[in-house]
Amino acid sequence: MANYFNTLPLREQLNQLGVCEFMSNDEFLDGVDALKGKKIVIVGCGAQGLNQGLNLRDSGLDVSYALRKEAIEEKRASWKNATDNNFNVGTYEELIPGADLVINLTPDKQHTSVVSAVMPLMKQGATLSYSHGFNIVEEGMQIRKDLTVIMVAPKSPGSEVRAEYLRGFGVPTLIAVHPENDPEGKGLEQAKAYCVGTGGHRAGVLRSSFVAEVKSDLMGEQTILCGLLQTGSILSFDKMIEKGIDPGYASKLVQYGVEVITEALKHGGVTGMMDRLSNPAKIKAFRISEELKTIMRPLFQKHQDDIMSGEFSRIMMEDWANGDANLLKWRAETGETAFEKTPAGDVKIGDQEYFDNYTLMAAFIKAGVELAFETMVEAGIKPESAYYESLHETPLIANTIARKKLFEMNRVISDTAEYGCYLFDQACKPLLADFMKTVDTDLVGKNFNEGKDGAVDNQELVEVNEALRSHPVEQVGTVLRKAMTAMKAIKTA
Amino acid sequence: MTLLNIEDLSVHYGLKTVLRHVSFTVHQGEGWVIRGVSGSGKTTLARAIAGPDKYTGGLNISYDTRSNLPAKTLFVESWYRFTNLEGDRNFYYQQRYNHQQRRDTVTIARELELYGQTYALDHTRLQALITALDYDRVLDEQLFEISSGEHKKLQLIKALWLRPQLLIIDQPYTGLDVKSRGRLNELLNAYAREGGTLILVSNDTELPACIQHFAVMKNGGFELADAALVFEEKTLKPLPEFLKEPPQYTAPTLIDMKQVHVQYGDKQVLKDIHWQVNAGERWLLQGHNGSGKSTLLSLITGDHPQAYANDIKLFGVQRGAGESIWDIKKRIGLISPELHWYFDANATVLQSLASGFFDSNGLYRQLRYMQKQQLNELLKFLDLYDVKDELLTTLPLGKQRLALLGRTIIKNPQLLVLDEPCQGLDQQQTQYFNKLVDEISKNGVTIIYVGHFETQLPACITHKLVLQDGRAIENTRQ
Ligand SMILES: NC(=O)c1ccc[n+]([C@@H]2O[C@H](COP(=O)([O-])OP(=O)(O)OC[C@H]3O[C@@H](n4cnc5c(N)ncnc54)[C@H](OP(=O)(O)O)[C@@H]3O)[C@@H](O)[C@H]2O)c1
Ligand SMILES: [Mg+2]
Repeated sequence: MANYFNTLPLREQLNQLGVCEFMSNDEFLDGVDALKGKKIVIVGCGAQGLNQGLNLRDSGLDVSYALRKEAIEEKRASWKNATDNNFNVGTYEELIPGADLVINLTPDKQHTSVVSAVMPLMKQGATLSYSHGFNIVEEGMQIRKDLTVIMVAPKSPGSEVRAEYLRGFGVPTLIAVHPENDPEGKGLEQAKAYCVGTGGHRAGVLRSSFVAEVKSDLMGEQTILCGLLQTGSILSFDKMIEKGIDPGYASKLVQYGVEVITEALKHGGVTGMMDRLSNPAKIKAFRISEELKTIMRPLFQKHQDDIMSGEFSRIMMEDWANGDANLLKWRAETGETAFEKTPAGDVKIGDQEYFDNYTLMAAFIKAGVELAFETMVEAGIKPESAYYESLHETPLIANTIARKKLFEMNRVISDTAEYGCYLFDQACKPLLADFMKTVDTDLVGKNFNEGKDGAVDNQELVEVNEALRSHPVEQVGTVLRKAMTAMKAIKTA
Repeated sequence: MTLLNIEDLSVHYGLKTVLRHVSFTVHQGEGWVIRGVSGSGKTTLARAIAGPDKYTGGLNISYDTRSNLPAKTLFVESWYRFTNLEGDRNFYYQQRYNHQQRRDTVTIARELELYGQTYALDHTRLQALITALDYDRVLDEQLFEISSGEHKKLQLIKALWLRPQLLIIDQPYTGLDVKSRGRLNELLNAYAREGGTLILVSNDTELPACIQHFAVMKNGGFELADAALVFEEKTLKPLPEFLKEPPQYTAPTLIDMKQVHVQYGDKQVLKDIHWQVNAGERWLLQGHNGSGKSTLLSLITGDHPQAYANDIKLFGVQRGAGESIWDIKKRIGLISPELHWYFDANATVLQSLASGFFDSNGLYRQLRYMQKQQLNELLKFLDLYDVKDELLTTLPLGKQRLALLGRTIIKNPQLLVLDEPCQGLDQQQTQYFNKLVDEISKNGVTIIYVGHFETQLPACITHKLVLQDGRAIENTRQ
């Protein structure tokens, strides 16, 4: 199988990368009609599988689960998830032939083997769905020509998909139809109905393509979402220890600070986050984030280039073939960092204190969000897609760090994201070594405003505010957040 | 000997002053009760003493170094939220019905064991507390499966096992049945005899003998009070016009359950339930904590996956016939302690009420003109108009509940499900709340009211279903 993207002529590559349309509410007026009465069979009952299935059933659709034989016989977690929630469960042979829609929600690494097993059993003219396009785009999986291939990709962990649905909302979702597999032209209608069934239509839906989803998803998760959060957290913690800040305090500031600071992104974007700083701190954070962008831009570009050329997936698949040797090694190393091993102290840190004492993180976030966004857009990804994969998801991932530090983040995200995150982190830390020498505790660990009189130059402040607000990620973000009717806070502690 | 000395204590939330210039002294071994209407600042005062909230003024606790009791202050809050093993509160109330992360929390027995280890407590004293509060049968349950009343008892058991030198309990009696209330008073007296210092925050009148000091909070200020002080009931305003309209019924029978069974693993939660609720009936649903009440209700509100495996007709439609849970929820107004726990922390009072139009937890849609009119009428009726733009979570508990009651009736639904709506409220607040329910019921709405105490129920009840260990032991017209 060849990398699908690389088989395309440049014209078609650009064409598919550029599929991007924010769908309006009236595109979903038909609700779940296109799937009403149809047999939906989900393969895999893990984080996405169970939670999407619960939502689809609660929306009035007919859902059952096909699991591999061993999982049923050994009554594994996936089998228990499905049967304890009163779903019909069967083997591929029992369920797939009757299915109108087969939803593949197994781990990406297994897609080739799962789809190869499932496809021959699917009836003529059925539909196959994914929640991530890696298998189609990077591995070049070929799907039988009578089958329709769609994607419905919630931009959140599975537990949020369920929680937001029950709250009466949903999570933002990307939908797509694979242009090579839409023989009856029904793909889009089914993808929309499926999306309504998960509640995604209430939170904002982006019509995308398999190619655009994969190339932007990989870029976002490797750089700003996971990679830079990891690098930034470790460097910040180490700096505080070096400067004699209490380890318990440092650990707490880093663990929870990233969540509190990025929460502001949800409501007001990068500008909203920076507005939480005092004027002098804002100007300082702005200046160092410009410096950080200059230092890190080549690294962001390298990640984007490797993703586009297929080099990234090639080396990752080599690691799969090698029993995940690198992934496991880096995972173990992350577990050994001082930040990971120092428990958060029993101190109360107020909301504003996280901003005042952790100005460095605001600068990291601003630099990372803007760089990821800029790099994606330069590579042909549309601003709306780039927004979801950078700014939008950052607070959702930060939330996992607050729960249980980097270990938790790397557990919740996919193996692909985790692998990319470590790649980035390995390269980024040395790159920032000189910069970190210039950082003192006023940027991380102590209140930036302490001992300063709070005065700023009018002209300079106006310029900084102007630069913040006019960045393209802010402009597209303002429109998208408004269009999402209400961008509600995903619950935090 | 002075244990607690407070001088000129004030507390501000944002721009609001909630406690003003409080001064008083508590001596070792004394028993105090602090009374006050909802919003007077009594909980804030208790919290300030227990820390770590910010305040201005002087607050000094000097422990007795010769005492056998640990030099600690413990605050038992009036109601609790679940946490899983990781201390994570980031889950939602229906999650306990979706079987996925069940091993994420611990059993009660294990929780108590860990607690005992942390504070090096003597296990021989634990059993007496468990027996006194009738807690044996809960020990094997998962922490996040127990009911609100059971949570309350768990906190009380922990507190009395620890025996800190200063113990502060907010609303000690709410969620407890009559028998447990008496037992609790005996336990509190025993604690006082051992030298413990007690501060209760409560308007209840049946207090333990060890309470000898009485105070009342008024608008953030503190005054010594008479032991006999009681609070006046509020009078009701006229009901908004739109709530005088009878609800539009879509079928004569709202709920029709036949042979309903619910089981988790080996544990049977509901057994052979047959239950019919017809339009206009007003049911009381009773049973011990853990008898299956909340599970039964979750089958009705579309929150329980096992509804798909049972013979249940809701509003004339068989469950699993292709209806969505939103078709069901739009006919129901629901309030429960769990809904309250997990309610959107960013919602204002107005948004909270308004979300009832859409059955969402928080407001995600635009309001129409008529909807805004109704909202304003209802806010005024509930005396919430002046605080409509404040965050729900910053109001005192009693007012939060009124707002959530408003949320249940804003769309004038066919069925009101009021699951322990007064949990955490004191007697006066409960009476007022129930009077509201009686008033609302006059338009012919169907009600299911879950309550604990015979004495604290609305008068409008017409039918009764009693559950015991998952079975219906009484199913009658009153
Ligand atoms: N996690 C996220 O945040 C997220 C977000 C958006 C999209 N997605 C996408 O959603 C998909 C599923 O991800 P996930 O995180 O939900 O996965 P997951 O939690 O790891 O679940 C995997 C499920 O697949 C089954 N499975 C594993 N190996 C299998 C094999 N060889 N054959 C058949 N079944 C197998 C497992 O069951 P048994 O092992 O018991 O058989 C399990 O039920 C992926 O494409 C992912 O990219 C994930
Ligand atoms: Mg992703």
